[in-house]
Amino acid sequence: MVGILSLTLLTLLLTAVLTFLSGRYAKFVALAGSLVFLAEVGLMIADFTQWAGFGAGGVPQYNYSETYPWISLAWLHINYTVGVDGISLILVLLTAFLQLATVVYSWNESKSPALWFGLVALTGLGCFGVFVALDILLFFLFWEAVLIPMFFMIGYWGGPRRRYAALKFFVYTHVASIVMLVSLLALAFYSGASSFDFGSLYGPARTLMPATQVVLFLGMFFGFGVKFPIVPFHTWLPDAHVEAPTGGSVLLAGLLLKLGGYGLIRWAVELLPTGAHDLAPLLYLVAFTSIIWGALVALAQRDLKRMVAYSSINHMGIVLLAIAVGSSLGITAAVLLMFAHGVVSGLLFMVSGSVHHTFGTRDVSALGGITPRTPALATMVMLGALASLGLPALISFPAEFTALLATWDQLGYWVVVPLLLLVVTAAFYLWMMQRVLFGPPKGIPPTAHDLPRVELAGMAILAGLAIIFGVLPGLLVHVIVSSPISGWP
Amino acid sequence: MSVLTPLLAYAGLVPLLTFLSFVLVGFLGNRLKGLEWGGWIAVLLSGAAMVVGTLVAVAEMLSPGQYTDVSYTWLTVPGSPGTFPNGVSLVIGFLVDPLSALMLLVVTIVGFLVMLYSIGYMHHDHGLPRYYAELSLFLTAMTGLVLADNLLEFFLFWELVGVCSYFLIGFYYEKPSAASAAKEAFLVTRVGDVLFLLGIFIYFATYATAGGGAGWAASGFKFANGTQPFLGPLVGTNTPLLTVAGLMILGGAAGKSAQFPLHVWLPDAMEGPTTVSALIHAATMVAAGVYLLAVTSVFLGFTPDDQFAIVAIGGITCFFAATMAVVNTDIKRVVAYSTISQLGYMVLAVGAGVTMVGMYHLFTHAFFKALLFLAAGSVIHAVGTQDLFKMGGLRRTMPLTAGAFLVGALSLSGIFPFAGFFSKDDILGSVFQAAQAHPAYWPFFLLALATVFLTSYYIFRAWFLAFGGPAPRDASLPTAHEGPWVMRVPLIVLSGFAIAAGFFVFDPAFASLLPGAGVPPTYTATDLGLSAVSLGLAGSGIALSYTLWGNGRIAAAPTGIAAQMRTVLLNRYYFKVGYDWIGRRAVYTVARSADFVERYVIDGTIRGFEKLFSRGSDLLRRAQTGIVSDYAGYVVAGLVGVLLLILYVGPAIVQSMGGG
Repeated sequence: MVGILSLTLLTLLLTAVLTFLSGRYAKFVALAGSLVFLAEVGLMIADFTQWAGFGAGGVPQYNYSETYPWISLAWLHINYTVGVDGISLILVLLTAFLQLATVVYSWNESKSPALWFGLVALTGLGCFGVFVALDILLFFLFWEAVLIPMFFMIGYWGGPRRRYAALKFFVYTHVASIVMLVSLLALAFYSGASSFDFGSLYGPARTLMPATQVVLFLGMFFGFGVKFPIVPFHTWLPDAHVEAPTGGSVLLAGLLLKLGGYGLIRWAVELLPTGAHDLAPLLYLVAFTSIIWGALVALAQRDLKRMVAYSSINHMGIVLLAIAVGSSLGITAAVLLMFAHGVVSGLLFMVSGSVHHTFGTRDVSALGGITPRTPALATMVMLGALASLGLPALISFPAEFTALLATWDQLGYWVVVPLLLLVVTAAFYLWMMQRVLFGPPKGIPPTAHDLPRVELAGMAILAGLAIIFGVLPGLLVHVIVSSPISGWP
Repeated sequence: MSVLTPLLAYAGLVPLLTFLSFVLVGFLGNRLKGLEWGGWIAVLLSGAAMVVGTLVAVAEMLSPGQYTDVSYTWLTVPGSPGTFPNGVSLVIGFLVDPLSALMLLVVTIVGFLVMLYSIGYMHHDHGLPRYYAELSLFLTAMTGLVLADNLLEFFLFWELVGVCSYFLIGFYYEKPSAASAAKEAFLVTRVGDVLFLLGIFIYFATYATAGGGAGWAASGFKFANGTQPFLGPLVGTNTPLLTVAGLMILGGAAGKSAQFPLHVWLPDAMEGPTTVSALIHAATMVAAGVYLLAVTSVFLGFTPDDQFAIVAIGGITCFFAATMAVVNTDIKRVVAYSTISQLGYMVLAVGAGVTMVGMYHLFTHAFFKALLFLAAGSVIHAVGTQDLFKMGGLRRTMPLTAGAFLVGALSLSGIFPFAGFFSKDDILGSVFQAAQAHPAYWPFFLLALATVFLTSYYIFRAWFLAFGGPAPRDASLPTAHEGPWVMRVPLIVLSGFAIAAGFFVFDPAFASLLPGAGVPPTYTATDLGLSAVSLGLAGSGIALSYTLWGNGRIAAAPTGIAAQMRTVLLNRYYFKVGYDWIGRRAVYTVARSADFVERYVIDGTIRGFEKLFSRGSDLLRRAQTGIVSDYAGYVVAGLVGVLLLILYVGPAIVQSMGGG
């Protein structure tokens, strides 16, 4: 009997393969596959009442888990093990929505559509795999599998400097992957476990000596951190975003950055709590640096996409901060914020892409007063910007509020740093809106017209999510807290 | 108990009704041309909200001191060791207590009247569905804020009213000045909001386990627990942490209520339609800061140091804003400065420990200030300019508006028996009393007293310039006329309130909304003496104003030091210039430098490595001999290296770091 997770993996694999093969019907296949994917995730969430809890010997259990032997050596078992808890389920939900939104948004893609939609499906597959894999090798396979479609998306559909950006993206994240893999393997060997399974590593890893934990955690922090990205290993991100096609940017910001956050929580913090605790000062330092640096540099950008990219660095810095805090409030906030950022940055990158198609430029200083000509696009710009600067009733607010409350709880007055940067975040978005949306019209070509329906529909999916979960964040939090997070030191 | 008491549990209907209006007008507005683009729907639903809101307030009057709280869980996070051992619940709820009932009365009544007035005033504008939808959303957020049953929810709606204010200030978004004023308002209040958030964190963490049940945090941080405050009056002494928390709340209130030094945005907010100025930037939203201080002082309490800071900010603001109103030539901005100044009075009262007296002034002020703005709106609607020096003699063509503005001016000046007299005298009397116990309050009492003179001077200067004299000074102005009935009715109703609202407190049922305020004033000999002094000051302000500006006179421009002072005042003490410098020069320069470092130092280093690697790989290429046995050698060497690393080097590092 195949479980629902394997079924979903199979769906995604099938979607990707069929899409590659189906020529000009590729978009329909991709859409159907995405809808089935979403339905399967919906089923999982509807059926998910409670995290499976700790089993015998304090080994965490996972919902919908499946284990099949894969590679067996005398001293080591590598299994195909998948399973979810609240944290991974929420990120799986994000994957399903973002894949759907990207397919819808890029419906009219005319350059090698079969290849494009196939790569979108492949990205969804890789991300889904990362979120559900509970075996080191399986996890690493999916982790690496995500790089390939993104490399081609940037390199083939990208802007003028696409080759450079794609290579930079690949080299950076690949070097980080290797460090991560070495750390994970070392973790497995040091802990003396006979299998790569998360469950069998859990107990032994957590009881490793503090110094070992610190060294291993450091390696994983670098490996996962580059994906975040953390300052100063972040410069691949703005380049990748600026050159990436819109759909690529959406998946890159919305999903790929989340892999880092998820990996850090699941494979580093959960397995090496003492290491996380001892290195918390370093994590705080890096988080604060990213928060400050992202917001300040964003303030100086004139390219809409670069601005959004740097604001991503700022927001992911808050995610890292919340992870570093480590209380159940902090981890919950981190996951909620990852979901929020996935939705909002996806929306903002769609908006940037549409501004570029419509007006031929993303330069904030070259545009002005676009509202009367393109009211729908202007509304989406505004919604995205307001969501990103943390307006209540939109999704980022509950996440940022809980993250900063958790920070105050652990760090006291240091919380003033991210708080003050909230003003800077507001400043660059408001300044952008003032210049692009308001004032007398400027830089509008006579042929400019409002959003095509598919682009509006893609944005509407994400905007709807931002509003629904902004008003009712409890729906997500209810799932997230059903994870082994409350038992942490 | 009364027939109406069950209604208290349904106070949430008020925001729902206006939210319905937002949805209907927002989505259907463009098809509702016959209904003034949905304007009549907004009028109808805000009218319904007013009826419900008033009934709720009356129900609260009839069962004095009752707390009715209905709340829903927003999100719950389980506990972990630390400050929140029992977890954190965040709730959204509706709390009716004397404070919120009073505010509900103000917001729904003024909201409805402004909505009605808009039908006439905005008739010629474009984008009306957007206007009515945004105004409805504002009323939703504002009533939500009023009924909030915890500080987080308060903050949530606080931000939403802020963004509505942003949209409405920027309603004429094609105008660069309007777009810029909207941004300025958002950013300046955002600075206050950030402080407010910090205050919330401190209160939440400090009292996480206080109170009944599993503690405050697990119960949703609610103000009230059933029929009484959750935490009770907590603070009597100075603890540094609570003092900071109180100061942060004061910071938030200062941003929203345009208190010194975050006052700069309010005069510029006059770029929005006058109706918006009346509702948002005079009667309701800007009073939210005072309301926040009142709520905090009732449910959490301030430390004595906080109280002194609040008194100081209030006292400074009321005088400081009044001085800028003295020289201004724009009818709306004069009224705007008077708003800042009056809000200063309220803040002063809350700081001096007489919270309910401050709320009483908030109540009367809402009506006479909305009246002044709507009367000013009538004038602007009729003559198409805001420049007082172009107007003149308008009392002949617009008698109703002239009368309404006069009622508002008399009330603002605190002339007996208009509403402003009672509430302002209450403030002066109570602060006078408080100052006897806390001598440090004296300077701020004196500033407040001096402001009485300035207030009556500047508002009558505006009245004489606009309505006095024989005819408009600028002959090119169109012949003025009164607006349609939808504009006249609100003026009449608000005039009624501006005259009579002060007497409400003599009704014991109404006074139950102001528990502990000591209203109606006791009128001891001291109080009567103080009233005489303030009336004398107000009267001499009017007299001076008449001497200089009455009957169409134009006072000669001042010379010497007075002229320099006038320049300083017209430049608003250079605060705006200073803030612009901080924003545009200081912060932006830092950001540009960061961007430079980003491009040329951080990314430059990376590029340097890239070059290094591409040179290095040229060298390494020579190792690629193409001979399989060589490669096999490399593989073996690599494997051995990795093994050595894991088995020996790693443990060695671990051991050297103190592990075992």
